[in-house]
Amino acid sequence: MKHSKLRIFSIVLVALLVITSTGLVFGAWYLKQLEDTITVKFEGQKWFFPSKIYSDSYLLYVGINLRLDDLTDKLHRLGYYESAAAPKAKGEFRIQRSQGIVDVYLHDFDYPTERRGGVPVRISLQGSTVTRIENLASGKEIFDFELEPELVTGLYERIWKERKVVKLAEVPPIVVKAILATEDERFFSHHGIDPIGILRAMWVNLRTLSFQQGGSTLTQQLVKNFFLSDERTFSRKIPEAIMALIAERKYSKDTILENYLNEIYLGQRGSQGIFGVWEAAQFYFSKPLSDLTVGEAALLAGLIRAPNRLSPYRSTEAATKRRNVVLGKMLDDRIITRKQYETALAEKLPQRALVKVSNDAPFYVDYLRRELDENYSNTVLTKEGLRIFSSLDLQLQRKAERALVEGLKKLEAAHPALRRKGDDDSLEGAIVVVRPQTGEIKAMVGGRNYQKSQFNRVFQARRQPGSVFKPFVYLAALMFGGQSGTRYTPDTVVNDSQFTWNYDGQEWQPSNYNNEYFGAVTFRRALENSLNSATGRVAQDVGIRRVREIAHRLGIQSPLPAVPSLALGSAEVTPLEVAVAYSTLANGGVRTRPLAVKLVMDQNGKPLEKRDVRVEQVINPQLAYMMNYLLKGVLDRGTAVSARRMGFTRPAAGKTGTTNDYKDAWFVGYTPDLLAVVWVGFDGPSKLNLSGAEAALPIWTEFMKSATANMPVTDFVSPEPSSDSEAGGAGQCAPAGREGELGGVPCPPAATAPRSVHDAL
Amino acid sequence: MAMNWLSLRNYFFAASLVLALTAAGCAPPQPYRPAYPRNDVSSAPRVPPPPPVYPPTNQESDRRPLPQDQRIREQDLKAKTPPAKETRESARQARVGEAPAVPETTAPPLPDDSSLLAKITPGVTPQRAASLRLTDEGSKLLDAGEPAKALSRLERTIVIDSTNPYGYYYLAKAQFRLGHYRESLNFLEVAQERLSGEPFWLAEVHALRGENYRALGQLQRAEDSYLQALRLNSGNRTATDGLARLQVESPSATR
Repeated sequence: MKHSKLRIFSIVLVALLVITSTGLVFGAWYLKQLEDTITVKFEGQKWFFPSKIYSDSYLLYVGINLRLDDLTDKLHRLGYYESAAAPKAKGEFRIQRSQGIVDVYLHDFDYPTERRGGVPVRISLQGSTVTRIENLASGKEIFDFELEPELVTGLYERIWKERKVVKLAEVPPIVVKAILATEDERFFSHHGIDPIGILRAMWVNLRTLSFQQGGSTLTQQLVKNFFLSDERTFSRKIPEAIMALIAERKYSKDTILENYLNEIYLGQRGSQGIFGVWEAAQFYFSKPLSDLTVGEAALLAGLIRAPNRLSPYRSTEAATKRRNVVLGKMLDDRIITRKQYETALAEKLPQRALVKVSNDAPFYVDYLRRELDENYSNTVLTKEGLRIFSSLDLQLQRKAERALVEGLKKLEAAHPALRRKGDDDSLEGAIVVVRPQTGEIKAMVGGRNYQKSQFNRVFQARRQPGSVFKPFVYLAALMFGGQSGTRYTPDTVVNDSQFTWNYDGQEWQPSNYNNEYFGAVTFRRALENSLNSATGRVAQDVGIRRVREIAHRLGIQSPLPAVPSLALGSAEVTPLEVAVAYSTLANGGVRTRPLAVKLVMDQNGKPLEKRDVRVEQVINPQLAYMMNYLLKGVLDRGTAVSARRMGFTRPAAGKTGTTNDYKDAWFVGYTPDLLAVVWVGFDGPSKLNLSGAEAALPIWTEFMKSATANMPVTDFVSPEPSSDSEAGGAGQCAPAGREGELGGVPCPPAATAPRSVHDAL
Repeated sequence: MAMNWLSLRNYFFAASLVLALTAAGCAPPQPYRPAYPRNDVSSAPRVPPPPPVYPPTNQESDRRPLPQDQRIREQDLKAKTPPAKETRESARQARVGEAPAVPETTAPPLPDDSSLLAKITPGVTPQRAASLRLTDEGSKLLDAGEPAKALSRLERTIVIDSTNPYGYYYLAKAQFRLGHYRESLNFLEVAQERLSGEPFWLAEVHALRGENYRALGQLQRAEDSYLQALRLNSGNRTATDGLARLQVESPSATR
């Protein structure tokens, strides 16, 4: 009996020993795992930084037309806030409408090539024209300045965490002290967990019978944010406490504090989370940390508990109340003096509207992504905090989107047959807006609803351009002349009657709209009225290979089969290609490359890639002027004359396009300073049964009326023959010339305008 | 016959050079500094172009080349397919029998018309005035040795006023400073098309074109461009210096 008891005791003892040693081994292993986890985090890559895409900056100069409402809107979107008094701090502005004065205290901004320090400027207007700009700090007149680019969106994987990492030394002591007073007043005396704090929290929770306080130290909060979930459970608290102890043992208080100040979540701007004190200072006060007042430091510290509920953007009362509590604590802890306390209490929190980052240009951003993907991996783009500056003009983008969406709705209302039930094959459209001088893509709308379809019809959809292609035929004719020896001018008479073009053993017979033929017409009228048969005859005389050559030279990159139907736009192209080709005409024969990404900088401001404006004089400026002159006739007298009736009156050139099967409707039109291409159609096989003038032109007109409202009225400038003999050699207008040589182009209308302008009427 | 022509040509060349150098001494200060320091001339046959600020590979990789784009690219200049260098001797041999390139008469030095701000007169549109001011800022940045900054500023000039030829000219100059010679030549072509009745500026255009051709190793074209500049304005210092450098770099080809 005694023996068996001893035996049982021995077994229990052994079992206990085994369990204890196993527990010890497991515990040691577990601690080692936690330590390794902490080490990897603290010593490795702590944060990932989403790349940010910016719009183009906005240049203001003496002489520019400016609508105050547009400027106010722009300043709000840039995070400026309006004050009743003269701006005293960066990010404030005041408008005195009766006196035509706008005072803006500019933000600091790191431009791609230089850093701009924020200065106060005064813009004086007469009517809508800027007459004077003054640097109020120096009292000197300046002639231009730039408003910084707008943040369009970030490139991130799952959650957009916006933060800028700062060193502890860069954070003002008052901010640090305010945060410690609020979150962990015994931070410098505990070892990761604070028993006094825990007891206090337990007492408060017991007294209120709710979970009011956690008693977590700052180290525990950091560990939780780094490694653990937000749930308030006991099972989470244990590893949190252990890891806090390990972290305190391994790393200095300063290291932990610095990480905390950069890690802490402090608010939300739409999809963008605000993390770290630097980012929070920018978000709430539009100023650097070093400029924060005592009251602002207290507000930041107070926000940590509930950043969204206590946000001044949501409620200035709640934010002020919380700030005052923090200020009281700071006074009690003798961090601030009574005078500082009273001054801070008197600070009034301004009511500011939250400007969310909402990506108003998703199609444009997709296009940028496609361009960036060629040089940067997804990991780099989403984690390395690149700054990408684009050509995007967000005001034009919004106008383009509105014009397209509303234009398509109007079309569906006017033509019920275009409506589709459900999601299948609904009426679609696209707009791309380009600045001809530089090739900058200022706006891009690839479809009517990005949420529904991300297919970007501006550069992914190849469609037949129809009559939009015809100007290339006429340009080739002016440039090369006909194989028959005909030297084309706007007044050359061409035959608009049915004919058959035999080629490679095949026949092609173009037919006019409504099978209406006009017989002998001038070259100009044939283009203005988009006569198929006359165009076909011109193309036949010039040679289809020449037409193709011109189209490529202007900027069409899609393959173009050298068949007769090419003259009437049978080869598929993208709206972006059309925009580039017509930009060459608008820009006096100078082709530019489409420019969306302008500059890419790394996180430290080092330029990684700069894409400059590239130009190439590909056709004679006099010929380009001649084409612009002819295409102005399309709007003034031809197929696009309804744009004038709709109220678009400034000098502009353009061309309608409708495909034979009525599936595609186009309009491309431009002033000397802005070009827009509109396409309307269905993605699927449905027919539109509307012409470009009926479907695309109204959208273009609405957009251009709005987009050019503030621009000065400019017309296409007639190039004068250069006085320099060599300069004029390549393409001087001359009465005669050999086929194919620029030297023999007909004189532009400047020389013959009075006769030419009226002849075709 | 060919020898006679060469002698005659060299005589005119030398005469124009002497005239140009003499005129440069009396002419008012020119807007150009020599593209390369003159003391470099004797030590190096051709000073290598300044390195581009941004990686040229990225600049070139952002679009598909247009089908008809046969222009020389920067990569070609650096490594892949260096263009065959044309010596003036070989070019001259090929040109025997052509019309002479040397001007028969040399224009007197033109008054300095380089001040862009002076062009802002009451009749000038606000857009042109703003564009000219930005061009002036850009030119000052170029003088300060900051072509990348200048480029950003100058790109704005043609947005505000695409008819401003000086904007295109200084864009060409910025591209030249960045070592993008082909781009520079393209901008010069546009600038030239937009300049009319301004021999001073046309001479500047030709002179800068000469600098680009010289950097590309196309010495005959460089010489032709310098001569054209001097034909328009014998006081053009860039052209004068450029010709002098050509002479030093390839003395056997002249005289």
